[in-house]
Amino acid sequence: MSTTRPASLPIAPAQPAAAGAARPSREGAASKPSTAFRESTYLKHLFGYEILGKPALRLQRWRDEQAIRAYEPKPTDVLSPPLVCVAQMKELMTRHYLEGRYASGVKKVAWVTSGAPAEILKAFGFFLVYPENHAALCGVRRKTEEIATEAENAGFSRDLCSYARTDLGTVLSGKTPVGRLPRPDLLLCCTNICQTVLYWYRNLADLFGVPLVLIDTPFLYGEAQPHQIEYVKRQIEGIIPVAEKVAGKALDEERFESVLQHARDAADLWLEVLNRSQNRPAPMTAFDGFIHMGPIVDLRGDAVTVEYYRRMLKELDARVAQGVGAVKDERYRVLWDNLPIWYRIGGFSKLLAQHGVNVVVSTYTYAWGELAPLIDPAKPLDSMAKVYLHPILNRSPADKLRVMRRMVKEFGLDGVILHSDRSCKPYSLGQIDERELLARELGLPALLLEADHSDPRAWADEQGNARLEAFVEMMEGRG
Amino acid sequence: MSLPEVLPSRAEVIARVKSQGKRLLAVMPIHYPRALLRAYGFHPIELWGPPDAPVAQGARHFQAYTCDIVVKATSFLLSGGADVAEGILVPHTCDALQGMAAVLHDFVHPRQRVLTLYHPRERREADRLYYVDELARLGRDLEELAGKRPSEGEWTEALATETAATTALAELYRDRPRLALGDREFYTLVRSREYLPSEDFIRIASAVQRGAPRAADGVPILLSGIVPEPMSLFDAIHAAGAAVVADDLACGFRRVYEIPERGSALERLAASILDAPADPTRGTPLAERAEELILRMTSTGARGMLVYGVKFCEPELFDLPRLRHYLGEAGFPMTHIEHELVSTLGQQAVTRIEAFVETLQ
Repeated sequence: MSTTRPASLPIAPAQPAAAGAARPSREGAASKPSTAFRESTYLKHLFGYEILGKPALRLQRWRDEQAIRAYEPKPTDVLSPPLVCVAQMKELMTRHYLEGRYASGVKKVAWVTSGAPAEILKAFGFFLVYPENHAALCGVRRKTEEIATEAENAGFSRDLCSYARTDLGTVLSGKTPVGRLPRPDLLLCCTNICQTVLYWYRNLADLFGVPLVLIDTPFLYGEAQPHQIEYVKRQIEGIIPVAEKVAGKALDEERFESVLQHARDAADLWLEVLNRSQNRPAPMTAFDGFIHMGPIVDLRGDAVTVEYYRRMLKELDARVAQGVGAVKDERYRVLWDNLPIWYRIGGFSKLLAQHGVNVVVSTYTYAWGELAPLIDPAKPLDSMAKVYLHPILNRSPADKLRVMRRMVKEFGLDGVILHSDRSCKPYSLGQIDERELLARELGLPALLLEADHSDPRAWADEQGNARLEAFVEMMEGRG
Repeated sequence: MSLPEVLPSRAEVIARVKSQGKRLLAVMPIHYPRALLRAYGFHPIELWGPPDAPVAQGARHFQAYTCDIVVKATSFLLSGGADVAEGILVPHTCDALQGMAAVLHDFVHPRQRVLTLYHPRERREADRLYYVDELARLGRDLEELAGKRPSEGEWTEALATETAATTALAELYRDRPRLALGDREFYTLVRSREYLPSEDFIRIASAVQRGAPRAADGVPILLSGIVPEPMSLFDAIHAAGAAVVADDLACGFRRVYEIPERGSALERLAASILDAPADPTRGTPLAERAEELILRMTSTGARGMLVYGVKFCEPELFDLPRLRHYLGEAGFPMTHIEHELVSTLGQQAVTRIEAFVETLQ
């Protein structure tokens, strides 16, 4: 049978015979680029990213920091000014996507799921693209509807995950708010967050004709069994020969250990950052957490990420010492379960803050910190197998409920918002019972809020806001 | 005698199996090792809904965007429909069934024990080794439930009987053009595997008359999807002037296993499921699935593929655009009809079927 793929995909080519759109084929990745092409891609990378891009972003960061520092709070402000470090976070993430624009032909590129053991690929020097993060960014910039429609026009149902639709929409149309995504040489998919990623990456593998490495993680209905851990370990080991083949070099064990150490240090710091909100008033909101999680997802294993969260922690500590809360008049403290509603983050933050509500903690942001103690750079593969088998999404809802109960106690919470996310069924199924148990056992107001993490078509402002306000009234009613 | 007269009802089978001292296990779709269950003395009764179950009880636990099979099966269980069963086996077919198993296990706490089975989504050495261990784990759960471990003889009998039943099913598909059965009857017989003891299935399937091969009674098509509910779907296809000559149904051809002759019992069972026909829920790569489908369509003379998919079924929905592309290239049109699990076929679906068949004529 024919295995012809679409004539072209508007994603930056890895090694095409000529400049322009990629011609995806199974053989495509193996074809050798011409010397002239290689030189031109290196030059573009040098000028676009190293010489012009990076300094421009540094300058922008300096300006943003100055603007935040110079901000004169108004009496009507319900939120404190943003953390100054947000400017650096913006620089890091923009730089990452900018590098992506020029990465093809300069570095090997891998597209990976957010919960994948990407440290190995990082040690090989792959440039990593996280399509979920890119889709979240499209959500924040309100581009999801336009881009996802491209996938829907190609036949992908609107009932499918909006991250997947956004990513496939970008692949099929080239539309992205970051300029351009580099074409993958390798795909790494780990099912520890959902089975959706498996079907999604099977599509990517088919469209791009590149190798897909699957890390299949049995769902944990209870304690992890030895055969499940062994299974994940064997698969993680299996990444190495494929990556070696694609990268054309052997794994540098020393670098691998250092990447793992950075990943662990960053995860430790991230956990500390999140736990600072146990203070009253909390120095940040969970909505800030959603925004600041970019580096721990996309740049896990980099030294700069460790440095960044160290700085963030310092700034939070200063706020705690001065008694500065992210919400100026913090009266109620709330938990957020599930992914954020990316296109409404700012709106929710303000709306809730007007009522003195601070969403101080979320189960979602914790996913990148809670497993930090399991990372052992001295036993890389064994510890990675355990870490990547245990994310909150790969554990039973009863386990998530235990986490939420603990958070209620540790963060002194007054209510819980459970985002029932159409696009994330593994996270959402179980929430109806969780809500009921939290309300019954702990006597807390608990709201099940129907939406979608990225697609605004699943959200109605009027009804949604009314439900949030009714939830606040319930907390106010309790005094 | 016609097929409906020969086939006992679910209720009759349940009563008979219980009177024989066997234990019943309610089983959710799609794949599970029947011989393993049999060796431990369990008889599976599968739950693909059922379509006429009221949704209220299931809807108290699941959001409106959850697949009907999960919601209705939960309703059925909670209304006491499967009280005769001693356990509920929920294989890890998809995120929705994962959610169902977890909600039952963690929150609903039905009287019956909830058993799970995680299928690997690849066919590498690591997957095979894992799957054997995972089947052994399921075996330990069954042992706790049954209070006994199967003897060598019970294992041998279970494997022999289930291999024979699997062969009987494969022969039904192979002999299909020669069978004196219409589409609805054929799939009624195939689906009787969902509750019929294997020895009964073997007997009835072998007794179906084989004549000379005959041409399809209408425009030949391949039917894909999870489950053809309501079964009047086949009447609508026939009325539109088409005939189902092959399928890619989760409750049909995707479960035509081949149990290898070599290896330990668990290795053989693991291989039979891992090497089963293409299935997105087991992670079959798209091109491979398309290739299998095109081969099946070519060999049976099917002119197009009708996908009759349950709403919100992610594994199916994700595959459709690329399957449409591959099948289109090979000259096979495809159409997709989404349905909820109900006992009457909607007029909209009938119209879509008619329109599709017209394009193939």
